[in-house]
Amino acid sequence: MIGNTEKIWLTLISLTVLGALLGETGNSGWPLTLTVAALIYIKGSIVINHYMEMRLANARIRNVLRLFITLIPILVIITFVWGEEIRRLTTLS
Amino acid sequence: MTSPDHQPINSSPNTPLPAPLNTETSHGRIPGNTGIWVGIFCVLVEFLMLFTAYFIARVHNPEDFLVGPDKLVTLAGTTITLLLLTSGYCMVKAVNAIRTDQRKASLRWIILATILGFGYPVVKYFEIQWYIQQDVNAEHGVFYGAYYYLTLNHLVHVSWGLLGLLFVALRTAMGGYSSKSYSGLEAAALYWHTTDILWLVLFSFFYILR
Repeated sequence: MIGNTEKIWLTLISLTVLGALLGETGNSGWPLTLTVAALIYIKGSIVINHYMEMRLANARIRNVLRLFITLIPILVIITFVWGEEIRRLTTLS
Repeated sequence: MTSPDHQPINSSPNTPLPAPLNTETSHGRIPGNTGIWVGIFCVLVEFLMLFTAYFIARVHNPEDFLVGPDKLVTLAGTTITLLLLTSGYCMVKAVNAIRTDQRKASLRWIILATILGFGYPVVKYFEIQWYIQQDVNAEHGVFYGAYYYLTLNHLVHVSWGLLGLLFVALRTAMGGYSSKSYSGLEAAALYWHTTDILWLVLFSFFYILR
């Protein structure tokens, strides 16, 4: 009988292998960007909620971790959509 | 779930300690101890700044980041991810075991987590040796500069985590933790899980995303 912790571990392992196979395709563009953003969010959230037990933790700590793992995928998408604008904004000369 | 040896953040010396918390009423508990959260939040801020630098480098050098992952060994990155996630799983089991006073079982899980954790620097060593042989270095573009800087920085943080695991393994072997007092063990596990999260992001940034 597989316990809940084992199911969570298997999910993380499966998502990692899926991501690795995705990387090996050499694709780029929207589908890859959205998939990578989703993988970061899902895997990070699983670690935060289950491994770190944030579902039961102090709300401030939980919110900081959830903000972090939400912000990174958003930045991935923002960088893809508005890359040129960000490049101009961060050019010194 | 039982409560480790710590108090809620708002408690004062004059406030009577709350009754032991159970799963249903433990919303608001601070896992581990407050000290480890200061450290974890510092690491998160540090890596958020590094990730910002990554994104800026990416928009300035899109061609480098498009072809950069081609020369990285995805198998090495995947192996490190699997090692860290499995090591993290072992630490979950170690904390759960100590909550029921199974000290020997907890120690076994910590030792297994540590062994798997040491697999990371071993894999990283061989991976970098391969890159050196293939002449893949920071002089070949911003992508590889960012790759080395961020991943080696992460390796430094993993080293602190491994030292933490060795310490809690020693303390567990000496009977330092029990179901009533295990905040140190839980704190080490939390830091270890944080390095998991950061690697999940790095793995996606350098080995998958183009």
